[in-house]
Amino acid sequence: MSGVATALLRRVLLSVLTLLMLAVFVFLATEVLPGDALDVSLSADELAMMPPQRLAEMKAGLGLDRPVLTRLTEFLGGLAQGDLGRTLISRAPVSDIIAYPLRNSLLLAGMTLMLALPLAVLLGVVSACTQRRSADNWISTFCLVGYSVPEFVTGTFLVMLMAVKWAWWPATITVDTQGTPWSLLAASPLVILTLLIGSIAYLTRLLRVGMIDALAGDFVERLRLTGISEWRIVWLHALPAAAIPSLAAMSLYAASLVSGIVVVELVFSYPGLGQELVRAIAKREVHVIQSIAILSAALVVGLNLAADLATLALDPRTRSS
Amino acid sequence: MNLFWNRLLKKPMAVAGLLVVVGHVLCALAAPWLINHDPYQLLDMPFLAPNGQFWLGTDDIGRDFFSRVLMGGRLSLVVALVSGALATLGGGVIGLLAAYKGGLWDDVISRAVEMKIAIPSILFVSLFVTGFGQSIVVLAIVIAIIKMMGVIRTARAQGLVLVAQGFVMAARLRGESTIYIVLRELLPNIMDLLTVEFALRTSSALLLVSTLSFLGLGLSPPQADWGLMVHDGLQSIHSQPWLILVPAACIATLVVGINFATDGLAEAGGLEASRGIAGH
Repeated sequence: MSGVATALLRRVLLSVLTLLMLAVFVFLATEVLPGDALDVSLSADELAMMPPQRLAEMKAGLGLDRPVLTRLTEFLGGLAQGDLGRTLISRAPVSDIIAYPLRNSLLLAGMTLMLALPLAVLLGVVSACTQRRSADNWISTFCLVGYSVPEFVTGTFLVMLMAVKWAWWPATITVDTQGTPWSLLAASPLVILTLLIGSIAYLTRLLRVGMIDALAGDFVERLRLTGISEWRIVWLHALPAAAIPSLAAMSLYAASLVSGIVVVELVFSYPGLGQELVRAIAKREVHVIQSIAILSAALVVGLNLAADLATLALDPRTRSS
Repeated sequence: MNLFWNRLLKKPMAVAGLLVVVGHVLCALAAPWLINHDPYQLLDMPFLAPNGQFWLGTDDIGRDFFSRVLMGGRLSLVVALVSGALATLGGGVIGLLAAYKGGLWDDVISRAVEMKIAIPSILFVSLFVTGFGQSIVVLAIVIAIIKMMGVIRTARAQGLVLVAQGFVMAARLRGESTIYIVLRELLPNIMDLLTVEFALRTSSALLLVSTLSFLGLGLSPPQADWGLMVHDGLQSIHSQPWLILVPAACIATLVVGINFATDGLAEAGGLEASRGIAGH
């Protein structure tokens, strides 16, 4: 039991370390970049008009004149307490600005995962079992096309077909940022469909490779000799063996899911973090950009940790390391 | 070589993909001589329907759309090729270095790669664009860094296998330097792998460039670019759908073509590409 506990603790600590390094990286990235937070948030005209003394006063007011290390510790201390800071110009708490968009984006991520995983498992298994025959060829072709085409193109095609041509749904989402989860989901079948195409393509490919490896394993041959039905071998023995290495590869999927959500939100004007990010970039709200970067990275690290923990739970061999 | 072509020709999708890619590249190269109007000139006639003079009509501010579509792949292709090449070579050398030096080098490189992978690419780009501004050079470098991570992993894994072999030990005993061993002994041995990586990274770099342009973080107006054109076309989606459909179809066919071709070429060459493809 203690082996499991240390392995668990190790994974959690590693994730925390990764997050800490990420926070430092995000802070330094906005720090070493030319110009400080004030310079980038003011326009060139405003900067040229402002007397140097006034600029220095503003910097002192925002605490930007203090040494980097002091501000870094403050930034990290704030993060640890869940304080994301305030925006530079309006002085509004960042957490207030991004709370609802964050909830809305998580809603999309959760919905996509819930629908994509079972479908991907089904397609991956069928594809691996019918290797190089027609079902596999169709599924593999769909997958290659599915993740080759960028989300904004898939989304735009879906809008043109289902919103413009057939008028099943409106092309853009008009639900308020603070609307109920249900009203948001009801308004966004096209958003979810766009995300699903990419996700299913990606996950199916992952599972197909894993299943092919698993089905070629010695243990499958031995099971066949005992006379168990092929159905049971595939679903009860080969699939769990294939799922474990696939879980580890999910780290890449998590990052691409977040990127996909950012893009799709803009295509459909879905009120989530992606919209907020682009607005923040246009207004040079450095704190909002930093917070969104850290939160998304935290989402990716969290999904990776979940995959790691699931691997630990499913595969006793990984508990020793 | 004959065996390679025979195996390739048995894959109709790969051959079709290859033809699409060659067609796109030829069009992009010949575009300046094929266009019949200046792609940047405002003609004072916005939203014209396709006609004999303007084959695909004019766009929202009255520029000849056919000429813009022809020119629209050139810049993103150049950015994708440059960042694909930088990512492959840089990633190859760094990955091999990690495998050869081991110890602290390996730890630091591997941890940095893991950390980078945890940051979604779009956010990574937006952090850079916020600070360094939006230029083609910045874009190519940032995309190269993003796409390098997968190459480092592949090269490191392959490097670990190579380092254990006799010729590396022999070179070390001859007193060759680390740089010599990595560049002259290890790198040539993973060239076939890196060729596949180059094709894969270039196609996903192309995806990223057009997505970024669509978001307003990549190439900027008035540049003729497919991602930008899809974005601009959204406002006239009901009346002039071809303003979106044509550039969107161009991006889709090019990337799908590259991926089908790479898949087929790698398989014909005895490499498993599907494992290397790491999504966006």
